Amino acid sequence: MTQWFEEIVVGQPHPLGAHAFTAEEIIRFGKLYDPQYFHVSEEDAAHAHFGGLVASGWHTVVVGHRLMVDTLFADDEVHRQRGEEPGVSGPSPGVNKMEFKAPARPGDTVSYTLTVTGKRPSNSLPGWGLLFNDLNAVNQRGELVYHAELVGFTKLRDYRAPLRLRVLMALTRIPGLGKLLARRSST
Amino acid sequence: MPNPITGNRRHFEDLAVGEEIRLGEVTVTRDMIISFATEFDPFPFHLDEKAAKASLLGGLAASGWQTAALSLKLLGDAFLNQVASMGGLGFSDLKWRKPVMVDDTIGGTATITALRRSRSHPERGIVTIAFDIRNQKGEQAMTINLANLVELRDPSAPMTETAE
Repeated sequence: MTQWFEEIVVGQPHPLGAHAFTAEEIIRFGKLYDPQYFHVSEEDAAHAHFGGLVASGWHTVVVGHRLMVDTLFADDEVHRQRGEEPGVSGPSPGVNKMEFKAPARPGDTVSYTLTVTGKRPSNSLPGWGLLFNDLNAVNQRGELVYHAELVGFTKLRDYRAPLRLRVLMALTRIPGLGKLLARRSST
Repeated sequence: MPNPITGNRRHFEDLAVGEEIRLGEVTVTRDMIISFATEFDPFPFHLDEKAAKASLLGGLAASGWQTAALSLKLLGDAFLNQVASMGGLGFSDLKWRKPVMVDDTIGGTATITALRRSRSHPERGIVTIAFDIRNQKGEQAMTINLANLVELRDPSAPMTETAE
């Protein structure tokens, strides 16, 4: 799936794989990041409207992110084995929307699917494109666990920077100055 | 039956639009960045100094999801664990505005921006919270609007026209 911006097909679903959630990892994530009683204690969680322990929605999200990264890396490998250079993914500027629909409980298996719904060249980062992605997470009963609308950066293959920018890029290779410019132009 | 865990906590009726929650602070170490990235976000620019320098981030930086998760923990400590929270509904407009670099300290405020009753579940209220997460230099690192469910103390109270 790490394709160059130019090759990415809008509307094509990419299965990212599945993850089975255990009580142990739900509680571990909950204690570190979301220590609400229904995420950290089976006993206390029985009093919540959930009726038992549930994973933090954020836990289900970061597991989906991990599966997406794994899928990208596996696809890079396929490209390399064919003798092709894989595309380059960048950091994400943000998430437009996240809707937690059904909780993930211990023993649930959640499957994730990513679909690129739109793309355009970035205005702020020359040479990069913006991808608009839908991510749906579904449990083993077919219930939607969450729906997300994410934004990501991916590199343009057929891009030649304007002269002014190429001079700037050359300047960033000078030690010290480059670090300064890179910090200023990050995000 | 009253909930023994949340009975004495603040309920939906106790919250007000405009309330500003002061969050604590957390310093994000290199070990924390690498540990989180190894488990959830193993891009080279979150794991390796050299790859990070060559990337858009300009140096080893925390996964945006780690910044978000740590912000959520700060909200849990300062607010969610003192209210009768029923869990998150989701969020909107999550923006990673500046990378969180090794040994940056993040903190900030969370402000209640909206309160409304759930129409389908009269015992539930929806609180919307806007985060303003900043680093030790006062630079904005992340903003997000979170929607969270909170129990009503008195579900029989009549709905107002703002319910949905």
